[in-house]
Amino acid sequence: MSTWTDLPAMAKIEVVVDGDDVPAVRDLFIDAGATGYTAVSGLSGFGHGGHHHGRLLFNDRESSSMLITVVPMDRADGLIAGIRRLFENRSGVFFVSEVHVSRPDYFT
Amino acid sequence: MSSASTTSTSSATAGAFTPSDRGRLLADISAAGTIAAPYWPLTAFVAVNPLGGLTDLPFAEATTAARGWFGARTHLPLGAYRAEYARGTVTDADLDRAIVRHLPTIGDQRPIDMGGVRIDPVELVRWDLVHGPDAVSPAPRQQSSTANALDDLMTGWCAAFVDEAHTPWQLPDRDRGFYRAWLAVAGADRRLAAIVGRDARSRIAELPTDAAELLDLVVRTRGISDDGRVAALRTWILRTPGWAGFARWCDDWAPADRAGVRLRMLDLVAVRAAMDHLAPDHLDLTGPVLDAEPSRVTVDQRVDAAVAAFGGGERRGPVLELLEAVTDDDRVGLWLAAHEWNFRDRLLARLTGPVAAIPAERPAAQLVFCIDVRSEGFRRQLETLGSYDTYGFAGFFGVPVRWRPLGSEVAQARCPVLVSPQHEIAEVALDDDTAFMSACSTTAGLHDAFYAAKGGIASPFALAESAGWFAGPLAAARTLAPPRTSLDTSADRVNKRPWWKPFGAAPRTAPVVDAAGTDLRAGLSLDERTLFAEAIVTTIGMAEFAPVVVLCGHGSDTANNPHASSLDCGACGGAPGGASARIATAILNDPEVRAGLVERGISIPADTWFVAAEHDTTADLVKVFDHDTIPAATRPLVEALQRDLDVAGERNALDRAQRLPGRDARVRDRGRDWAQVRPEWGLAGNSAFIIGPRSMTSEHDLRGRSFLHSYVAERDPDGVALETIMTAPLVVAQWISSQYYFSTVEPDIFGAGDKMLHNPVGGVGVVVGQGGDLAVGLPMQSVMLGEQRAHDPLRLLAVVQAPLDRIEGIILRNGGLRQLVEGEWIHVVARATDNDPWSFRTPSGGWEPWHLADDSMTEHRTSLAHTDLSTPLSI
Repeated sequence: MSTWTDLPAMAKIEVVVDGDDVPAVRDLFIDAGATGYTAVSGLSGFGHGGHHHGRLLFNDRESSSMLITVVPMDRADGLIAGIRRLFENRSGVFFVSEVHVSRPDYFT
Repeated sequence: MSSASTTSTSSATAGAFTPSDRGRLLADISAAGTIAAPYWPLTAFVAVNPLGGLTDLPFAEATTAARGWFGARTHLPLGAYRAEYARGTVTDADLDRAIVRHLPTIGDQRPIDMGGVRIDPVELVRWDLVHGPDAVSPAPRQQSSTANALDDLMTGWCAAFVDEAHTPWQLPDRDRGFYRAWLAVAGADRRLAAIVGRDARSRIAELPTDAAELLDLVVRTRGISDDGRVAALRTWILRTPGWAGFARWCDDWAPADRAGVRLRMLDLVAVRAAMDHLAPDHLDLTGPVLDAEPSRVTVDQRVDAAVAAFGGGERRGPVLELLEAVTDDDRVGLWLAAHEWNFRDRLLARLTGPVAAIPAERPAAQLVFCIDVRSEGFRRQLETLGSYDTYGFAGFFGVPVRWRPLGSEVAQARCPVLVSPQHEIAEVALDDDTAFMSACSTTAGLHDAFYAAKGGIASPFALAESAGWFAGPLAAARTLAPPRTSLDTSADRVNKRPWWKPFGAAPRTAPVVDAAGTDLRAGLSLDERTLFAEAIVTTIGMAEFAPVVVLCGHGSDTANNPHASSLDCGACGGAPGGASARIATAILNDPEVRAGLVERGISIPADTWFVAAEHDTTADLVKVFDHDTIPAATRPLVEALQRDLDVAGERNALDRAQRLPGRDARVRDRGRDWAQVRPEWGLAGNSAFIIGPRSMTSEHDLRGRSFLHSYVAERDPDGVALETIMTAPLVVAQWISSQYYFSTVEPDIFGAGDKMLHNPVGGVGVVVGQGGDLAVGLPMQSVMLGEQRAHDPLRLLAVVQAPLDRIEGIILRNGGLRQLVEGEWIHVVARATDNDPWSFRTPSGGWEPWHLADDSMTEHRTSLAHTDLSTPLSI
């Protein structure tokens, strides 16, 4: 009987970033060979920078966004190095985790 | 200059270029690219702060950095500020207040004994500001003539790469990016070979085909460390800041579905780095091009002058110590602050005192204009003509959509660029439009064919032969006798189509605002429409409704003007606002929406009809749209209103004529004159953004210097409306204000230079003369009249009537807004109600009471007339 661990493993990278910095992260994703990504704008929550409100009515750039992508493990290092460098001078956090995907061809 | 050398590719010390190296390099390009402000194509001009990439720094630090990076001026010259002082628009009291507030340690120092007289240090510094020797501007570090020649090549290749319309054949490999396209043809560029040498072709052939690998190669070859890489990249980027700005737009702001090639910053910097790599001598990549350190000689001269003026040469030491603490950067900063305090005093002195009484009876009409500073004069004129209430709201009327006009396959965003529109609204014909669309197709084809022939290499000769007999006399007639603006605002007139679509009667049209079909992006759901309707009404604090409520967008109609869209509505993404007004009124007249509003506590009377209109700010005409949809009972009211709008337009045009050169009688025709470089002043003079009820300002002629956003704090208890205003319209106004500021203080670098010399290039912008970089910012003619300024370069002053704790909360929880306020890119003053005193928000947080610097301020000094153009000009 197959289990979820039999599914191919890949790297999921989630980046929380200011709205203005979304294009920079998106371009890193694309250059690293990500075949797609999901963007969630208007994030709200609480962090070391205090409270983050949600979406503003007429300003998509002021609030934080999350960009999520899944890439094969061998493409993750370059992407992670780029994001770390980006965050040396900008606010934001990112998370890397191992995920197992059902359709690996979607991500390669 | 770095030492001259010829570096061959083979000498590179490049190691393996790993994916991690690549990721870090791309991140550095992104960081370096922020130095270039995004440049929107001129088809949809968007005003931006040219120092927008530095707003994470306080204004003073950002301008210091900008002087270094751009080699540009960021303030008026000392002489210009001193002229303001001589004119009385900056006073001793203003200067003293600026000194004490910005250099508090000077205010705390003990007087200096000079020639037997004790001189207050503040007075000494003020004397130095007013009379001391001018600073010698540090000269930009010179790069070589080779670098300048390569810049010329660079700008030519950029134009060739992006041009969609005027190149007879396109670059190969365009779809693979600028670097690859350049690489494919650079070997055949004889101008480049003349600089690089005979082996240019072979050396170019050895370059990596990947832009990132090329940059890595050049950076390693030059021995640039990771820490110095952003500075090096910025040096290459700022060799062509205009094209870099366009690349920044392509990377960060262009719609994902935009047709045409994308000029990426990565490619742009790679091409410039490659040429630098190939050249016999290289750019200095160590940092800013200007050393902004003050000259010691200048400080000594200032001290000598002060000692000579006050006497007491034996006290030179304390004077030196004092003036040494006031750098050249401080001096211009103090002048700017004093100039701003003066304007703040004049404006707040006017806004302190009794406010206009609000009439109890229902007005004949309410008119909602754009917040644009040009609306203020028109509103004032109209309000004197009848029982009209006017309001200010961002000219997209709170409906962020993409608009697709009848017959067009292209939808254009009609909202501030801060918003990414999620919905598309199409204009559809209500009548049979077959004949009209056919005629449009034919005439548009002729139009395109004419301009394609005009833009080719050989075809203009044939065009001159075949069409010259017609076009020549027409051009001569149009030059000698510019067409007059028709003042006919009747429905028949305004529904006409452009001159090249004259055949076939234009059908009646309407925007399709409701969602239908399977396209989720087409139209708006009932919930969305109701939400937008609620936002319009609550944001401006409208509680009662007149029988007629006009939503009046604005645009301009100017001929032969590449910067035409800069005169249109910034809140509509640099497009005219009529479409947004039509969409919003269609929503607000929808019975289902009105029923939904009742559930949200907003009851619009059944006899209230919302009417769409557009104010042509050049001709001062207001056109009413969709006459046929207006109920019969409302039409007489609209007709009476139209008559008053015509009168208000005539009066406002005459008022504007006082500040424009030329004959007053022809002021409304300026837009039709294709030789006219100054069809109107646009937003020149803008200095304040007033958020509050109209009663605050209706008694005052604010001289077109203020954005006016309606707001009633009592009707916004949770502050949502104010937060919307302060995080969107105020931010956009700050961009506009900054663009006018920097285009005025540095017209050749942050402005677009002399409009007389503009040539359109690449379908995206203009260059000054025959070539060179893309000209950013506003043309000199938009902010200057000869040697006179038409704009006071001041930072935007936000004037808010709302509880201070509400404003403070909004500032603190919105990072971008907080940077603008605490970095002193914007000044904020506020009061809770009409009866409260004004307070100003300090950069370090908290509020302090405002008071006049000079209590003897006279009526003359409270004038808001522009400094230079305060008196009528006769030219």
